[in-house]
Amino acid sequence: MVKFDCIVQEGCVDETLRPKLATALENVCLDVLGATAGPAEFSWVVVKKGFGFRGGEPSNTSLVRGRIPDGCDRDTRERLLKSMADEWCRLTGATAHDLVISARDESWAG
Amino acid sequence: MPVYRCVIPEGSLTYDQRAEIATAFTDVHCGLSAAPRNFVQVVFLEATAGFELPDTHGSGTIKADTPYFVAGGNRGGRPPELKAKILAGLLKRFSAIAGVPTNQVSGRISEAPASWTMEAGKVLPEPGEEPAEWYEHAAVSG
Repeated sequence: MVKFDCIVQEGCVDETLRPKLATALENVCLDVLGATAGPAEFSWVVVKKGFGFRGGEPSNTSLVRGRIPDGCDRDTRERLLKSMADEWCRLTGATAHDLVISARDESWAG
Repeated sequence: MPVYRCVIPEGSLTYDQRAEIATAFTDVHCGLSAAPRNFVQVVFLEATAGFELPDTHGSGTIKADTPYFVAGGNRGGRPPELKAKILAGLLKRFSAIAGVPTNQVSGRISEAPASWTMEAGKVLPEPGEEPAEWYEHAAVSG
């Protein structure tokens, strides 16, 4: 299973987009990682206006933290990140600068 | 990266305090690590009943031992003593700006390989290997 924790700034990613984003990111995972990636699970946190900052200034940045099955090589992970970022930006209208996206190994303990 | 999630009691900090803490965190992190300023993300999450903080650099949830808690996520590869210095600096500034005793503020910094994260369309470089152009831009609003 792939799991995504999505932190979005209030007003930047409309709630109605969440199902489309979930489907798009899940499809990318299946395409890049294969069927073994399994279904994707999503959690969403909305950061209220005035509660998110970047470089000390108010932020519009979305933070998408994913967990994927172990064993992904560097090139595949980069392809995964790029494709997910492209889909996110396509659907939300955000620029690449407005997104931080990661994919860590499932067994990684931090 | 880095991303610092600050868990705070509901209604405990004003906007000015949050903004000052965010700037202070940027100063501390970049002053010790030489990372570009616009890498530093700080978000404040108000803890309400049932609030859980996912460990976004590991697994499960993070248990906050104090009312104010800083959960940091950094690129791996820095010496442990530097990570400790960064955390100590963040907590000290947080306590001072928020006006809360130091024993009410705690935190931790988790790490992951830089290559596991993409920002601005590019895979992050290892700490210390940031290209020069990453420092040429002023802090980006969003």
